[in-house]
Amino acid sequence: MARLLQIFGFLSVLFRGATLTFQSLAAGGIVFLNSILRRASPECGAIQQACLRWIRLSAVALAVMQLSYVLANSLILMQSADMTLADVRGANFFIAGAIGIFAALTIVILSGVQRAHGYADLLFPAAAIVASSVMTSHAMARLEFRAPLVVATALHQAATAAWLGGLPYLLIAVRRAESPEFARQISARFSQLAVISVCVLASAGFVLGFAYVGSFQAAYGTSYGAMVTAKIIMFGLLLFLGALNYQLVRSGPAGSILASLKRFGEAEIGIGITVILTAASLTSLPPAADLAHDRVSAMEIFARMAPRSPRLGSPAMQELPEDVYAAQSKAIEAGALSSASFVPGQAGTRPNTPAEKEWSEYNHHWAGIVVLAIGFLALLAQAGHVSWARHWPLAFLGLAVFLFLRSDPEVWPLGPNGFWVTFADPEVLLHRIFVLLVIGLAVFEWRVQTGRVVSANVRLVFPALVAVSGALLLTHSHALGNIKEEVLAELSHIPLAILAVTAGWSRWLELRLPEENRTRGTMARVWPVCIMLIGAILLNYHEM
Amino acid sequence: MDSDRRKLFALVVFGAATALLIAASATAHAVLMESSPAVNSTVAGPDIAIKLRFNVRIDAGRSRLTLVPPTGSVQPLEIGKQISADTLFANASGLPAGEYRLRWQVLASDGHITRGEIPFIVARS
Repeated sequence: MARLLQIFGFLSVLFRGATLTFQSLAAGGIVFLNSILRRASPECGAIQQACLRWIRLSAVALAVMQLSYVLANSLILMQSADMTLADVRGANFFIAGAIGIFAALTIVILSGVQRAHGYADLLFPAAAIVASSVMTSHAMARLEFRAPLVVATALHQAATAAWLGGLPYLLIAVRRAESPEFARQISARFSQLAVISVCVLASAGFVLGFAYVGSFQAAYGTSYGAMVTAKIIMFGLLLFLGALNYQLVRSGPAGSILASLKRFGEAEIGIGITVILTAASLTSLPPAADLAHDRVSAMEIFARMAPRSPRLGSPAMQELPEDVYAAQSKAIEAGALSSASFVPGQAGTRPNTPAEKEWSEYNHHWAGIVVLAIGFLALLAQAGHVSWARHWPLAFLGLAVFLFLRSDPEVWPLGPNGFWVTFADPEVLLHRIFVLLVIGLAVFEWRVQTGRVVSANVRLVFPALVAVSGALLLTHSHALGNIKEEVLAELSHIPLAILAVTAGWSRWLELRLPEENRTRGTMARVWPVCIMLIGAILLNYHEM
Repeated sequence: MDSDRRKLFALVVFGAATALLIAASATAHAVLMESSPAVNSTVAGPDIAIKLRFNVRIDAGRSRLTLVPPTGSVQPLEIGKQISADTLFANASGLPAGEYRLRWQVLASDGHITRGEIPFIVARS
């Protein structure tokens, strides 16, 4: 039963993340349609129809994801809490989900109706979608300052949808614009909307951050605070890209302004989706302000992260616990983990043994050496003086084999638990997905670096996979309480994730920006340096 | 599908795939802030008042409290009228001295349940 609940719990989070993404795309498209394309113009017709198609697709996907989320969550409650369907039907999440599904289907129907006078009516179901999301937010669950927090959450989500959710529609419009002048007009209008949205988003975010994080110490000493800090840093990345756009429009080479804007738009969409997924992950954590005990202090962080020599020797397999799942069950049976709050199917965290910590440090340090070498060779290959350096992606294959064997010693092929446990334990599944990503990186990028591939799309596989890896790291599992070891591990993984996101999108921009854009050269240097920094951080990762 | 649309489609698929790959697995945010009896405390019996305060609003109608006495047979407790939206109340009466465990399971407004257990001792009166 516990394993079944774990799988349902895992699925419900997947659906939640997808719901938030499609919510932003559907609502953002409707705002775009009404604020950017509102003025009647013969050129608007075709663009409107294209936008409506994407809004409809997003709304269908939203309804499906929302329905899947409600079903998975209902099953979890019925299985674990002995509730009947009638009990579940009246719960807040069920009502919120039903409103979201109804609003999404309304958008699907209304967006298919031909009309002469605008699409203002679509704003109502878009508002209902945001409202349904706010209904299950932290704000609605608070006792103090509930009304202002609800307003701030609604504004935060609406502004996110208008800005980040609107970006794909800007790309559609710019691509379909019949004249450069019209594309420039649309971009200028969207810039105004983006500036307003960023101001609203930042102001509402400040209010929410003040209420939920509450202090500087909580910003680095708790999982919630660290994740909020990560969101703020990525928000900074987005603003940096926005500033590049602004500079481009003011003084960029006239012939390539629109082409460059499109490429920056792609990177902004990617980083924007990562921020939305980080936010989805954040909703699973109790606010830092609620967890005043057991926060990690600055001294503890310094002690853990101070540079030390890497661990290049591994403990023997025999030193590890025979079967971690059995050990965890024993600890739960003994009541050792049960006084803290936990989610059914996840009965707490069993502290790692010293041998497990040494095992993990060894893994991180050797991975760090390989990644550092990859970044360095990539820089060398770019300089063009050492021809063999262009084979650097092959080093990822060695890394994949190393991770496959060592990341989960309790599971096949090294451990006593069979291959199928891979799909039942979210952590093992995540590690195995990472191995597949790393193999993908090696194969595709080696073919690109050695000139075996000329297709522009295949060249984008490497940056896309690196960026996805960063997003995965930002949305991995979190503890409900302030478990110091988990917070400290989180603090070392967040910089890795941000560097991976930066590396992925800077490589993307290097490949996609027009030749005459000078930022392209800078981006070409940024990603190998990010990869080297990832290697350096891995080399100094410690669990003790 | 033309090249531009294909790239845009790929981008959206990338976003959706990222969403489908996210692997946060702890999905709840109702955390016990304080309780009476407190964890590992000793209380005077045979009748005790139970009070659990959480960090967020709790759906009392869909939450459960059970008591595990020294004999091991689980007794469900009736949850009293909710005076504050973040607190659960209940009474347990006629408890002989011994070691008990109070198990709680609550539903928060986001639809996620959390569970926990409070070990305590009822002293001889």
